[in-house]
Amino acid sequence: MSAPGRLRIVGGAVHDPANGIDGETRDVCIEDGRIVADLPAGAPTLDARGMVVMPGGVDIHSHFASSSCNHARRLIPDEHAADPAPAPVLADGQPPARSGTGGTVPSTFTTGYRYAGLGYTTAFDAAVAPLTARHSHSELDDTPCLDGGIFVLMGNDEYLLRQIEAGERGRARDYAAWLLGATGGYAIKIVNPGGVEAWKTGQRNVTSLDDQVSGRAVTPRAILETLTDAANALRLPHPVHIHGNNLGVAGNVATTLASMEAVAGRRAHFTHLQFHSYGGGNGQPWSSAASKVIEYVNGHAEVSVDVGQVMFGSAMTITADAPVEYLLYKSSGRRWTNIDVELETGCGIVPLTYKDKAAVSALQWVVGLELFLLSADPWRVVLSTDHPNGGSFLAYPALIQLLMDRSVRDDQLKRVNPKLIAGSALADGLAREYTLNEIAIITRAGPARLLGLTHKGHLGVGADADVTIYSRGPDLATMFSTPRYVVKDGTLIVEEGHLRRAPAGRRLRVAPGYDDAVLPDLRRYFDRHATVAFDNYSVADLPGEPVATS
Amino acid sequence: MSRETRVASVTCLGCGCGCDDLVIGIANGRITSVSPPCPLAQVWFADGRVPSAVRRDGADATLDAALADAADLLAGAAGRVLVVLAPEITSEAQRTALALADLLRARVETATSGPAASGLLAAQRRGRTGATLGEIRNRADVILFWAVDPSGRYPRYWSRYAPEPIGTHVSEGRKGRVVIAVSIGRDQGPAGADVRLALEPDQEVPALSVMRAVALGNALGELAPPLKAAADIGAQLAKARYSAIVHEAEPATEPARDPYRAEGLSALAQALNSPSRAALSSLRAGGNRSGAEVVLTSQTGYPMSVSYESGAPRYRPADRDLTRAAAEAAAILVVGAAEAVGASLSAAAKRSPVVIVGPRASEVSFAARVAVDTGMAGIHDGGTAYRMDDTPLRLRPPLQAERSAAAVLAALLAATLARRPGAPR
Repeated sequence: MSAPGRLRIVGGAVHDPANGIDGETRDVCIEDGRIVADLPAGAPTLDARGMVVMPGGVDIHSHFASSSCNHARRLIPDEHAADPAPAPVLADGQPPARSGTGGTVPSTFTTGYRYAGLGYTTAFDAAVAPLTARHSHSELDDTPCLDGGIFVLMGNDEYLLRQIEAGERGRARDYAAWLLGATGGYAIKIVNPGGVEAWKTGQRNVTSLDDQVSGRAVTPRAILETLTDAANALRLPHPVHIHGNNLGVAGNVATTLASMEAVAGRRAHFTHLQFHSYGGGNGQPWSSAASKVIEYVNGHAEVSVDVGQVMFGSAMTITADAPVEYLLYKSSGRRWTNIDVELETGCGIVPLTYKDKAAVSALQWVVGLELFLLSADPWRVVLSTDHPNGGSFLAYPALIQLLMDRSVRDDQLKRVNPKLIAGSALADGLAREYTLNEIAIITRAGPARLLGLTHKGHLGVGADADVTIYSRGPDLATMFSTPRYVVKDGTLIVEEGHLRRAPAGRRLRVAPGYDDAVLPDLRRYFDRHATVAFDNYSVADLPGEPVATS
Repeated sequence: MSRETRVASVTCLGCGCGCDDLVIGIANGRITSVSPPCPLAQVWFADGRVPSAVRRDGADATLDAALADAADLLAGAAGRVLVVLAPEITSEAQRTALALADLLRARVETATSGPAASGLLAAQRRGRTGATLGEIRNRADVILFWAVDPSGRYPRYWSRYAPEPIGTHVSEGRKGRVVIAVSIGRDQGPAGADVRLALEPDQEVPALSVMRAVALGNALGELAPPLKAAADIGAQLAKARYSAIVHEAEPATEPARDPYRAEGLSALAQALNSPSRAALSSLRAGGNRSGAEVVLTSQTGYPMSVSYESGAPRYRPADRDLTRAAAEAAAILVVGAAEAVGASLSAAAKRSPVVIVGPRASEVSFAARVAVDTGMAGIHDGGTAYRMDDTPLRLRPPLQAERSAAAVLAALLAATLARRPGAPR
């Protein structure tokens, strides 16, 4: 099938957990880019007998299309040189694909091809400075095969802090809504609430939810509450996406639990939880606090998380949490980029290698796995490596293997530095092995549901026809790294493990309503403090319409 | 004569400041006023008129015929094509130009100057600590102008970014900031500085090293007077709340400047972030030169000097010599204002066919096989350009040209694609 049309995927073992289907042998029918109930006899078929059929993968948290990523790309010519990526040879009649480079932060086109090659068809860049949204959209335009969007950084935004300081939470909500629309964003992102603003001053960071931010009447707690409430009041498809305070710090479990309790009873997504689940500190050695954190998550249905698993090997830390990157630079001596973004946020970048013989790296690896293995609800504890912070998205198959096969996990556990993991749940033995259906939940159905993408992550009638078909094999990592077929919007893009078509992806963004009384004040604020004109700030001139709203 | 109409929030690419607050007056299809006054903006916008010719071997041609000819010769030279990203085009056009370069397995060079390239390479070796220009405006309380007076090449830097404006954390504007001017030989700092230091060219990197040592808290022995003064400035920077080190990243006036200064400046700015906060502000020329580097990085991982000849991007910064690259090419595609790189191409143009798509293509001083005039980014062509700090800017063109560079390049890409073996003609 060379164009969207009809296709019957015949006889595969279908894992469609959103529709209660767990490995049943059945057909999946596609017409005009959507899943349909049935097709007339004679429709084209794809023989999937003996294979595993799942919806296309959905990455809820990745860094692949932003100004920060581009700063990171610029920092690693050595990695690019070691991983040239010639253009895939597409099917006859297709426009030629593009070449690029890989490494921990691949070039744009290569990113799209490699995601598709894993069976992923949707991904979100999880941290975009509003000022640079225009750049992110151009990168998304150059990232084929993926539907996607951006999360917009707001947790250190000067205008927002002013509204909180003034007690104007309604105005803060209107601003958040305006900013999402102006930047073509999909969700509200908080990174180290208040901490990035503190980094720009002599305070340098905040350490507790009730610290004042740079001497102002604003606290991380108030930022969390304001933006969590804003996202829920605006009925955004995805709740506020929170990267909390004290990332990567021994003993940060207390801050993490306090942050969850601060927004208790309200929908909120806590991201790369692994980096926020450490015990120790105050003179005590690092330890795993995964069990404490996941116990809270298990008991609170309004909370969702992605794990941010660390995988051993090269990584690139890219985050708006600039004070953390300064500490990484000082402790590692590696290259360091820091870009302070006016009125909004920051950006820090340090290349990093996680080594199984390094005690902290080993602990991080264990903490992530414990979060997965102690999770009571895979729909709310979904897969990520915080690409490329904990490892590349290309490591997802190896991570899936660790979750599904205890023997592989235990073998690796024997090889890691044991210094900090004695007494951890994983070291004491966690027998759980994820099933294929649970993998389908944490890699597609769960993220889609958490993102409010009703047309994605499942194979029910009316869903986007994004389908991944795997050949079964004894090696799970190989199975998940080389899907036999991938269908995107009804088009067969991967055939026999090779990318054959590379259609452009669709932009997923929202345009929530707001009280436009905020606009005159915003215009004055821009005139006084911004260096980009208010009239030029919006990306509304770029093509495309919002496709997901409340 | 028709009455003047005005277009607001226009972006100027006359230098890398990327001011987007201009009001442009238009009457009878010409630009009649530019406000606020800026000498570079006056030159950049001029009267807004650009030629709209299409030429083949110097004679008028239809666009279709010219592009067919261009596609034939470029496709015929695939693997030995040089693509030059010259200034004055949008990043949308740059992205399409790279699609062509990839298709043609071409070598790509930009209009990045030698000193700017040194800065990029220094940043790749050690990273960099920078800020968007508004952050300097809003926070910097100490501003060090390192051998540059921005009033010449960046006329509004002083009033728009620093030190003059009132910032969110600098409520008194200029009065609330300390301005330090260091001169290196003939490269003078600005007048009106609070602190001044004059250095000889051979003292530049030693002075940066001394300042870095002070920032790191390292003990220093006896220092000669100029270096002692540099140490004092280092101490002043280390005590700042937020310092900005502003330097000229484009070619200097002083011929004897140390080629390793970019590394020294980068290292100093990084070191200052231990005792204080600091950002390096690299002054870059306009015309969306920064955009070329941004787009190249997105699509290839490298900011300049990329070769697609092997079928995937390869970085060739050591071979970054436009004249030599042109001499080695079997065909050359210049995208943008070709006259800006004309000196490097004129000799090669006598031997190899040149295709130019960009503003004033028909008026270049060297022979071009095909020349297609287009609009200029931000004056006639809408889309995106990048400021010197890599901030993307919306372009709100006050005029229209006969054709945009992005549209012509898209047509050339389509025509070249049609010449692939097996493609339907």
